Amino acid sequence: MMFLSIRQLMARKKQSLLILLGITIGTAAYVSISGMMLGFQSYMMEQLVNNESHVRISAREEILTAKDMASYPEAAHVFWQIAPSGRKDSTRIEYPLGWFKKMDADKDVVAYSPQVIAQVIFTHNKITKVGRVIGSQYDRQLKVTNIENYMKSGSFKDMGYSGNRLIIGTKLMELLGTRLQETIFVSNGSELPQSFKVVGSFETGIKSIDEGTSFISLTDGQKLRGTPSEITDIAVKLFDPDLASDKASSWKKSSRDKILSWQESSAAILSVFKTQDIVRNSMTISIILVAGFGIYNILSILVNQKQRDVAILRSMGFSPKDIVQLFFNQGMLLGILGGAIGLLLGFIICLIMSRIEVVPGRMSGPGNRMIISFSLYIYIKAFSIAFITAIVSSIIPARAGGKLEPMEIIRSGGQ
Amino acid sequence: MIEVKNIVKIFPNTPVPVLKGINLKIEDGDFISLVGKSGSGKSTLLYIISTLDHPSGGEVFYDTKNLNTFSREEIYRLRNHNIGFVFQFHYLLTELTAIENILLPARKANEVEKRRSFAMEILKTVGLESKEHRYPGELSGGEQQRLAIARALVMDPKYIFADEPTGNLDSANGKIIMDLFKKVNQEKGTTIIYVTHDNDFAALAKKKVVLLDGKLV
Repeated sequence: MMFLSIRQLMARKKQSLLILLGITIGTAAYVSISGMMLGFQSYMMEQLVNNESHVRISAREEILTAKDMASYPEAAHVFWQIAPSGRKDSTRIEYPLGWFKKMDADKDVVAYSPQVIAQVIFTHNKITKVGRVIGSQYDRQLKVTNIENYMKSGSFKDMGYSGNRLIIGTKLMELLGTRLQETIFVSNGSELPQSFKVVGSFETGIKSIDEGTSFISLTDGQKLRGTPSEITDIAVKLFDPDLASDKASSWKKSSRDKILSWQESSAAILSVFKTQDIVRNSMTISIILVAGFGIYNILSILVNQKQRDVAILRSMGFSPKDIVQLFFNQGMLLGILGGAIGLLLGFIICLIMSRIEVVPGRMSGPGNRMIISFSLYIYIKAFSIAFITAIVSSIIPARAGGKLEPMEIIRSGGQ
Repeated sequence: MIEVKNIVKIFPNTPVPVLKGINLKIEDGDFISLVGKSGSGKSTLLYIISTLDHPSGGEVFYDTKNLNTFSREEIYRLRNHNIGFVFQFHYLLTELTAIENILLPARKANEVEKRRSFAMEILKTVGLESKEHRYPGELSGGEQQRLAIARALVMDPKYIFADEPTGNLDSANGKIIMDLFKKVNQEKGTTIIYVTHDNDFAALAKKKVVLLDGKLV
């Protein structure tokens, strides 16, 4: 029946082209919008998942309430006029060795990096900027994050294990008006400022990080805080980033330290991604649905118009199944062809978009070009949507065609 | 051979049966005209004999085999290989050329290439050999009906059923069609049963079956 299906499609070039165009546009829209959004999302996910850590363990934060006093035996006789409130934070992880042992024994953990994080004031000549320093052991830090990929000058290893050497965000470097090999002063506000030599710079593309973060060695960080041998954070990398949430939940049960998975700390961004996905899918599905209704309408009209042909085909020995196939093939062909052209068109649009220059360092890939995803998954999904829509919208009119009885058509004079 | 036994046909919401116990024997090679006034049931009888319609009562036998015992697939195969239809309106597929229309039944049987040269021969027989690539819309009414006959002949069927094949044609074209039927009947031995209103065309048949108010006269 394929021969006849193709001939019937070709005989109605204008109608067929319009439907084809609908499916093509829908598919191309899905591919290009998904390419753009998922490209952006994968870039952001890379930043979220691999720039920081999958799970972060930090010093505990405790909010005080009246219930916290209930554990004292005298509490039963105490009636608060103003209930206690406030925070009872710790400045360090209480028992880091325990965590290290736990991490070493856990098969899901790739690596962990003990850190000292402090809010500091950077000073260069007369310029001061507020930011934070992360003190870590560079070899451990490199196993946990991919910061080395974002180095603009120098190497992350250049900070060594001590020696007051500092890796600085490019924006922060610009704002302080400093250069490589120059010395800047860093103070935590309570201790005397210490001098650090700038040995490298990095650019992640995230303004808040590039403008306010610098890395130093763990020992230098502890000295800067005036708290030798203390650590404030442990950054943990897992083999499977998706496990982070479950892992964090299970660790929380046995510790009072603050434990955050990357999903929790990036919940706002992840919810933006979800919204983007909903918008992307609903928009594309709307376009494809319109095309699907087009197929349904055209085939329904065609089945009505071709009753006479159905009668003669049935009198020649064609079965109802053959008639269903005659009309179904047409919808299927439109879906396959429209989907295939749409994929190609979408791919070309993505290629063009990937050459668009964006502001350097802002959501851009190599060469400051827009980041576009060319994931096979997008193309498979786009084609499946087009194909399934075409199939679903063809099946009802095609079955109606198969139910036509030749005698009824002949008696009614046929069309 | 086709045998029709006690065929009754009642249409829903119609109090009087259209056919009232028809018995008829059609021998191989017969050339039969079915005649009668409008509403006498001749077309209904033709379609019941040709498997397109179902009787309300009675039986139709093809070579002693009762049609009621045929499976659907057997019926489709019987239509495809053993029966050719010609209707009052040509019922050609407008998207296909003359030769493609003729080869449609062969397409169902997956015999397009096998039947192509035979189809060309038939085209020649019906006088359309120079118009094999023309579309139905580019042919005259007479040519269209001859093309429909060519299509009915392509599988070299044992039976041809024609429902007023000349009803839409002028007398000259009508004569050409009837001459074609005669030729096919004489040369190939094809059994031809046709319904007509025209007494002259009815007289060309070897056997004339007259229906009156649903009964054979």
